[in-house]
Amino acid sequence: MHQPVTTNPFIIMLINMTVVFLVLIALMYLIKLIHYIDPTKPKAKEAPAPSPVVQEVAIPDNVPQKNDDEVVAAIMAALSSMGEYGTVKAIRPINREGWKQSGRVQNMNF
Amino acid sequence: MEFVNAFVVSLQSVWNDSGFASFTGGHGIMILVGLILLYLAIVKEFEPLLLGPIAFGCILANIPCTGFFGEEMNVMKAINFGIKFEIFPPLIFLGIGAMTDFSPLLARPITLMLGAAAQIGVFVALAGAMLLGFSVHEAAAIGIIGGADGPTSIYLSTKLAPHLLGAIAVAAYSYMSLVPLIQPPVMMMLTSQKEREITMENLRPVTRFERIVFPIVATIFISLLLPSIAALLGCLMLGNLFRESGVMDRLSDTAQNALCNMVTIFLATGTGMTMSAESFLVKETLLIIVLGLVAFIGGTAGGLILGKIMSKATGGKINPLIGSAGVSAVPMAARVSQMVGMKSKPGNYLLMHAMGPNVAGVIGTAVAAGTMLAMLK
Repeated sequence: MHQPVTTNPFIIMLINMTVVFLVLIALMYLIKLIHYIDPTKPKAKEAPAPSPVVQEVAIPDNVPQKNDDEVVAAIMAALSSMGEYGTVKAIRPINREGWKQSGRVQNMNF
Repeated sequence: MEFVNAFVVSLQSVWNDSGFASFTGGHGIMILVGLILLYLAIVKEFEPLLLGPIAFGCILANIPCTGFFGEEMNVMKAINFGIKFEIFPPLIFLGIGAMTDFSPLLARPITLMLGAAAQIGVFVALAGAMLLGFSVHEAAAIGIIGGADGPTSIYLSTKLAPHLLGAIAVAAYSYMSLVPLIQPPVMMMLTSQKEREITMENLRPVTRFERIVFPIVATIFISLLLPSIAALLGCLMLGNLFRESGVMDRLSDTAQNALCNMVTIFLATGTGMTMSAESFLVKETLLIIVLGLVAFIGGTAGGLILGKIMSKATGGKINPLIGSAGVSAVPMAARVSQMVGMKSKPGNYLLMHAMGPNVAGVIGTAVAAGTMLAMLK
């Protein structure tokens, strides 16, 4: 070990803190540069395209048009049995995908 | 009669060669210290993965006549070589790099400043140590405890003050495990309720390109500037590259699990083995433990004060609580920021915001160590 440049603790503190800050500031700008030259970054959002004309979607025949009292009662009973209490405001059928449901059932069996 | 004589002489020989014949009060005290550390590790769960082997190494080091550090090679001597020749700390950094996500730092690079500000604790402790009569090399090794980074503390003290390694490692790891007790009072004292309630904006998404390029660029830049820490920083960034590249998963997995665990066993046991009664039972040890606490408090305060300044400068967009995570102690310090933030305002999630300064603190401590090595070695 060679003789240190200085043994004054306050000068050591000042020099070291300056170096630490300068190195980390340089690193900060390097990070900003990496972000700037990043060819994969998502481009700034363009002006929103005019919304396409909304087409009327035909409602399948098998979907009930009105909330059936029996369906509401069954759903309320199921929720209550799970400890959930409240009021049903609306019931909407979800889009069902047969293969997903089939996969879930298969997983349950195995 | 001859049989009795032979029996007595053999018993005397066994006794004379045994550790009991050379056992001193100092050894007894150090074994007690080892047992207390074991209690803290196992019962209180203070950094058990590190304090456990350190404590056991301490007990082993204070059993006389083992010949661990004699002329002949043995397993304990080989483990000690890994510390003496600075092999284990960089390997631990390889694992830390593979476990660390730099995305919060890359998303908000300004938090690097908080990691820099928290290094003030290192230099406050350095100044304090010099005023208490330690040499400048010893003071630098003691000060780095404030960086709250075990491998860097061991790395620097091996180079600058190897005789203080045991006390420095124990102080560093003990205080790191006590971060949830040390930091909150300082955080509450230095910040107002209004500041603690600041909710920060979500971080921007960071691309894979940024996450891959950063470790490469940071290694080249910092290693060129401070070659003395190239091994430490290079291993940290290599581990991170394993993780982020997406094509080196097996290496990443080994670095963060099997390799890191193995090296932790060797590093911690070897560190404990340096705690012999002759080197540990001195008044300097007590001073080092006090100075370590000063360093931790100083570092926490430094990060918080810059956090307050940044909060004011950005019109209240930065919660100053994330500043305290600038002391490394990954991810414990970030969790403390989250905990104090949640206590002040339920639902105020600061964890990811605090991870930025937290990982910046690891880099900051390595840079502080490199600067001191460049100045003093």
